[in-house]
Amino acid sequence: MNFFRGVMGGQPAGPQHSGVETIQKLCDRVASSTLLEDRRDAVRALKSLSKKYRMEVGSQALEHLIRILQTDRADSEILGYALDTIYNIICSDEEEEQDESEDAAPPLSGKNRNVPEEMQKQDDVGAQFTERFVQDPENITLLLTLLEEFDFHVRWPGVKLLTALLKNQCPQLQGIILVSPMGVSRLMDLLADSREVIRNDGLLLLQQLTKGNAAIQKIVAFENAFERLLDIITEEGTSDGGIVVEDCLLLLLNLLKNNSSNQNFFKEGSYVQRMKPWFEVGDDNAGWSAQKVTNLHYMLQLVRVLVSPVNSPGATASCQKAMFQCGLLQQLCTILMATGVPADILTETINTVSEVIRGSQINQDYFASVNAPSNPPRPAIVVLLMSMVNERQPFVLRCAVLYCFQCFLYKNQKGQGEIVATLLPSTIDANSISAGQLLCGGLFSADSLSNWCAAVALAHALQDNLTQKEQLLRVQLATSLGKPPVSLLQQCTNILSQGDKINRRGSKVQTRVGLLMLLCTWINNCPIAVTHFLHNQENVPFLTAQISENLGEDERLVQGLCALLLGICIYYNDNSLENYTKDKLKQLIEKRIGKENFVEKLGFITKHELYSRAGQKPQPVFPTPEHMLFDHEFTKLVKDLEGVITKAIHKSNEEEKKEEEVKKTLEQHDSIVTQYKELIREQDTQINELKAQVASMSSQSEQMQVTMTQQITQIQQHKDQYNILKLKLGKTGDQSASQGEGAHINGLQSEELSQLREELEDLRRQHAQLQTQLAEKDTLIGSLKSEAASPAEGAPDNTELMKELDTLRAQLHSQAADLTQLQTERQELLRKAETAESGPASVDSGVDKAKVAELEKRLAAQSAETQKLQGEMKNLTGGRAGLESELASATSTAAILQAEKGKLQQEVQESKKEQDDLLMLLADQDQKILSLKHKLKDLGEPIDDEDDLDSKDQSEDDDDEDDEEDDDDEEDDE
Amino acid sequence: MAYAYLFKYIIIGDTGVGKSCLLLQFTDKRFQPVHDLTIGVEFGARMITIDGKQIKLQIWDTAGQESFRSITRSYYRGAAGALLVYDITRRDTFNHLTTWLEDARQHSNSNMVIMLIGNKSDLESRREVKKEEGEAFAREHGLIFMETSAKTASNVEEAFINTAKEIYEKIQEGVFDINNEANGIKIGPQHSATNSSLPGSQGGQQAGGGCC
Repeated sequence: MNFFRGVMGGQPAGPQHSGVETIQKLCDRVASSTLLEDRRDAVRALKSLSKKYRMEVGSQALEHLIRILQTDRADSEILGYALDTIYNIICSDEEEEQDESEDAAPPLSGKNRNVPEEMQKQDDVGAQFTERFVQDPENITLLLTLLEEFDFHVRWPGVKLLTALLKNQCPQLQGIILVSPMGVSRLMDLLADSREVIRNDGLLLLQQLTKGNAAIQKIVAFENAFERLLDIITEEGTSDGGIVVEDCLLLLLNLLKNNSSNQNFFKEGSYVQRMKPWFEVGDDNAGWSAQKVTNLHYMLQLVRVLVSPVNSPGATASCQKAMFQCGLLQQLCTILMATGVPADILTETINTVSEVIRGSQINQDYFASVNAPSNPPRPAIVVLLMSMVNERQPFVLRCAVLYCFQCFLYKNQKGQGEIVATLLPSTIDANSISAGQLLCGGLFSADSLSNWCAAVALAHALQDNLTQKEQLLRVQLATSLGKPPVSLLQQCTNILSQGDKINRRGSKVQTRVGLLMLLCTWINNCPIAVTHFLHNQENVPFLTAQISENLGEDERLVQGLCALLLGICIYYNDNSLENYTKDKLKQLIEKRIGKENFVEKLGFITKHELYSRAGQKPQPVFPTPEHMLFDHEFTKLVKDLEGVITKAIHKSNEEEKKEEEVKKTLEQHDSIVTQYKELIREQDTQINELKAQVASMSSQSEQMQVTMTQQITQIQQHKDQYNILKLKLGKTGDQSASQGEGAHINGLQSEELSQLREELEDLRRQHAQLQTQLAEKDTLIGSLKSEAASPAEGAPDNTELMKELDTLRAQLHSQAADLTQLQTERQELLRKAETAESGPASVDSGVDKAKVAELEKRLAAQSAETQKLQGEMKNLTGGRAGLESELASATSTAAILQAEKGKLQQEVQESKKEQDDLLMLLADQDQKILSLKHKLKDLGEPIDDEDDLDSKDQSEDDDDEDDEEDDDDEEDDE
Repeated sequence: MAYAYLFKYIIIGDTGVGKSCLLLQFTDKRFQPVHDLTIGVEFGARMITIDGKQIKLQIWDTAGQESFRSITRSYYRGAAGALLVYDITRRDTFNHLTTWLEDARQHSNSNMVIMLIGNKSDLESRREVKKEEGEAFAREHGLIFMETSAKTASNVEEAFINTAKEIYEKIQEGVFDINNEANGIKIGPQHSATNSSLPGSQGGQQAGGGCC
């Protein structure tokens, strides 16, 4: 022990080689000693030598130290010494401090320290040993397991060593840690360590670990890093907290920058809302320590990371929305208008507000409504613009205001209109300062920076907004007393035409570039503005003169922009001015400048070294005011126009005409497209109508089908009934048609008719029989008549013998006449007898009397018989009449049935026809639906494949239609 | 945005079994037939309701490729639920389940709820793994089982929600230590407060104002 102490004490005086020897001995000791205490002392001694003899200790002891880490796991003290020693070898304290201060320095301070050469050398030493240590990934795994050791003496140096290793060999170590199970999770646990030193150094470790490795960043976020870091920041007092807050913020920045997945997680976890209290900074001027400025600076940066224009539009938009909803934007605007805020914080706040409102209508509207707490209150926009055109304000602040103004107008037609309106004669309010006034003031001030900023700001108010481009043409300026007012457009060209002679502080080129950018933006895609510009006879000669002149290096950009302006005058020329038609301007270029020369000059713009830098991101950031030449949006415009203008210049008149024709056809195509669009729209409505129709039709057809089936069953019923009737009729057959009433509903009447006919035939036969019988009776009566006394015997069943009755009656009459004759004869005889002798006469008369009585008896019997016959006759006649009427009624029923049958048949026919129609209609509908489906499919609506397959078979007829629709779609796509 | 609980899920399984599609179907209710390979891990979130309580699901969809295994392992520990997915039309993805399960059991906390999912149930004609086999595997290893289709959305909702129900029950039973966020469970801001829900308490205040 004493020996070592001696060595240690003698170090500074001792020569180098003795140190080397000592280290050698110590290493042997570490390697060979069996006693833990000995090894521990040796390692402790190495540690104390490691700073001075970094190289020597490193080269000789590193292996031994690693072995100690592997074998002496039980003794935390020796582990601690070993870790410390390795740490010292890998990085010197001074270096570490420097690194830290570099990290901690606010980016705005911009200090440039020169790293001493010796330090550089030591750095190399550190890198060399790091490499040796990392070579075996097992060493890192070992280190990670050591971190699980709770003992402060192990964990703390372990954390520091790993941090140092990460600093020197970041990607390699990240790779090793990433694949070691639970590696990142274990390191995340450091944040939960109750010992602040370890937690704070854990923060530094995680900062190094998460640098540029998205996979690790995600795991760290997964391990609740956001929650813990935000908790720590709150615990430490947010912006008033110390460097720990700063470290947390730096880690948060690492986790979120360019990591969309983590940004999404941050937003989804409602952590945006937790940022709001950070910006509740009081108005008191006392509390602005350097640390607070740094903290707040990083806080603002964090906000900007979430709403950066380079993020996906959707992600930025949702964060912007969240920031407005939770009041963060409002809080930032309060800082914007507060007094006593340090300039760099104010600048960064302006930049932050810019990106929070950029392209978000709600946020832009809110920003437009913010007022400064002045008396009278002025809109924040006006207050900010005042700073932009104020020479005394810091350059970065003025750039920030310009950015803010640009973001306010980005995709904000409403805002653009409001700004331009402040310049229009009708809406000018003379009593208060307006944005328009400030911009005009800036445009024509004696400060070139103000000129440039105002010109760019005004250009943004016109960006992609034809209405405002035309509105701004109305603006007239009163230049000096007694002179007529000049239009804003003219005033711009006037200043431009003064060329080098204008008197400006700063760069004259800057002023001219600014004005030219404004003019290009203004007249681009606005033929009316082009005409206004060309209307001034001096403008074109000035431009051609500028372009054709052979000017110096710094004037080349102005030449390029003049060429661009002239090019726009050609490209967007509507040929309304006779002197400056497209053709004439092109001839002018050919004669005065030369096509090639013109194109070359035009190319100066994109070849400018500052051009591509401005194209990278929307924020105007320039190292010095002199670099302020290009605007981001303007670079886009140049990109769009350079090609078309070059083409337009090279084109001959014929080509131009052709182009014109092409344009016309294109327009026609456009109109066709619009027609098709309308057609599609119409078809759409038609489709809807048809769909409704199909629905109603199908319901109708269903109903029809129902009625059809009903009818069919009815018909069946009728048939059945008829058959029954037929059967019944068959049964009753000859007897009578009295049951015909049962058949009056329906039936097949022809058979019935024939039956009836048969019956009729029968009846006729009967009739004939009767007649023959009557004839027989006639003869009988005839015989009776001839006999005169013989009673007439007629067949009792003789019927229907009216005539015969008459003849009978006539016979009777004749008989009666005979009788009366006989009576008169008798009277004569009686008289004779009375007159002659009464004796014989009385005998004669007695015989006669008996004879007469006999005759009279016979006569009475005969007349009774005749009476009987007559009654029988009557009966028969009645029966016949009944039969006749029955026959008539049966015939009429048959007729009714026939008519009904006809009707039903007709009905059947009709319903059949209807059904056919319906089927046709359904088929039509089917086809229509199919075509609709096709159309839908073409339009990208998902339709069941099976349906498609079905439809493909059927839809060949529809192909024509489909093709047409396809065409429509294609047109649409165009 | 207020929630009673927050659960962290991971989705694991062979490459191409449809993990990202399941997540997309669950969070965005859409199906993307062509999906890029997942690089590392992607994040998605959605709110669901169980037992009348709002529950926020934070879901980490992992890359199935072997090369990302070591990275995805880091996500096991902090998850309360895992969806272990295989493809019913690819037997090999089913055969690899044991490896996945071992990996998950080894790196996760023991209470993690694992739901076995046979995805692509819409491709019945190309089926290689019977539903019964999946059921048997789940029974054997104590997992919940379900066949889903990220394409037709069949059972997707159920898969995520049933897992959440299982976790929720475990919380009710006191199995989970809900105060340790490393378990993948977090109590919502409103839940720890006395008032049961934020809108409710606001309404209460308004009503109170009316009374006074």
